[in-house]
Amino acid sequence: MTDTAAVARGAQLELSEDWLAVIIGIAIFALSLVGAAGPDLLGWVVTTAVWTDPGKALAPFSKAYAALGGFGSLVVTYAALLAVLGAAAVALKIDIRRFAVAFTVVFLLAYGSWIVGSQANLAVVTPADFKKFGLSWSLKLTNEGGYVVALVLGLVIANFFPRFGDWLSAAIRPELYIKIAIVIIGASLAVTAVGKLNLATSLLWRGVVAIIEAYLIYWAVVYFVARKWFGFSREWAAPLASGISICGVSAAIATGGAIRARPVVPVLVSSLVVIFAVVEVLILPLLAETFLSHEPLVAGAWLGLAVKTDGAALAAGGITDALILARAASEGVNYQPGWILGTTATVKVFIDIFIGVWTFILGYIWTNHIDRLPGSARARPIEIWQRFPKFIVGFLLTFVVGLAIALSIDAASAPRFTAAVAESNVFRVIFFILTFFSIGVLSNFRRLWEQGLGKLAAVYFVSLFGFVIWVGLLISWLFFAGVKPPLAS
Amino acid sequence: MSDLNALKQELAKAEVEPLLPIEKKLIGWSLGLGLGLLIGLAVFNRVFGLF
Repeated sequence: MTDTAAVARGAQLELSEDWLAVIIGIAIFALSLVGAAGPDLLGWVVTTAVWTDPGKALAPFSKAYAALGGFGSLVVTYAALLAVLGAAAVALKIDIRRFAVAFTVVFLLAYGSWIVGSQANLAVVTPADFKKFGLSWSLKLTNEGGYVVALVLGLVIANFFPRFGDWLSAAIRPELYIKIAIVIIGASLAVTAVGKLNLATSLLWRGVVAIIEAYLIYWAVVYFVARKWFGFSREWAAPLASGISICGVSAAIATGGAIRARPVVPVLVSSLVVIFAVVEVLILPLLAETFLSHEPLVAGAWLGLAVKTDGAALAAGGITDALILARAASEGVNYQPGWILGTTATVKVFIDIFIGVWTFILGYIWTNHIDRLPGSARARPIEIWQRFPKFIVGFLLTFVVGLAIALSIDAASAPRFTAAVAESNVFRVIFFILTFFSIGVLSNFRRLWEQGLGKLAAVYFVSLFGFVIWVGLLISWLFFAGVKPPLAS
Repeated sequence: MSDLNALKQELAKAEVEPLLPIEKKLIGWSLGLGLGLLIGLAVFNRVFGLF
């Protein structure tokens, strides 16, 4: 199976994947909540600490499951994910035996990358940790560097062992993994926000205004460039503009549907989106750390506006969060973690919400003015909902429930609630890792070139690096400059 | 494979479709509204500290 075909399959199953992500994400959140009031049902989930002795790298999240040990918790985590995602695979009509075998290998390689990324010489940043681990050098990638290791391993497989990559394809489902992660992250954002509600509300508004302008400006310019400078037809230019301008894979697919493009068009655009997202994730967090470490939330918003695909944007936000916090700590400033990632996630979620509205507008224009056929149906308002990315419903639900609990809970119970949300957040990290590895495996550069996408890639390159990234930076600066994350107490 | 070759040919040899008036309108409104909102809200935010 080609990478393109994998994306096509994802497109056909998008709606099912969305609702499955809602169900799985909310189930994880709900089970973690039980732990706040009663038995800890998810405390067995594996966590990884920065390590020099591999035997001490892994541990279950909760001390209640200490008897499992690190390896035991890894096995239980794998088995639980296999059961849940296997059921999802059945719902998506994927051959369960192929999925189970492929997922086993994907989990081993992806989580193995995370463990490697947590090795002290890769991850340690602060002078205190240098002393603690007795190190003379470190790449200072932080423990979030494991995402990059997983991505690079996926890229190596895609480009040097493509048959192996094809063999893994049944379990290479970045869209499903990231959507589950986004549903889970809602509660974490609520807990992060509740201590500084005014700041969180302010960021929310800034996010809304930033994405509306970014979308309107980006889309128009990229569509014009594709049509006028590169001579693309309307059928190619519209999904390309949506894919490049902000929302990546989901927007390209939704736009393709809205303008009744042939299915292959958004699929090929989606392949490009994934490839460029990989390049962005490798470069932009380092640029953000170098040039925006004194404006952390500008960095967070910028990544939300510049990095395409939800998975890549959120992982880039996570890496940047860790890198900037580490740099600030070395300068004596200790920010609360999570605010940079939270800003990236907020911007990205608003963009996803906007997809439904924008594709409705395009659908209306195309059906009524461009491809108008006698007797053809006009675009109906219900199509906004039909094209709305449903996993956002799950995100909003966990955010609202998390916020309501955090605001109403008494001080004595608050630490247990915070710990329960942190427990569900461990799953969010695991789904991020699976997303990154999957994105890498889908990124076969040679195959893309062989498909004759050079001209499409040229539009993408010119628009992204010549325009989108810089306008995104300007908008982020205008609305987020001077707003700082709270200091850690 | 033949499908891919056909796509390659299509992308390489596609004839230029001129921009229709409705497309120009879409580009103009989108860009105009985006830039207008950007400038307006940025100035408003600086002056009144909205957010």
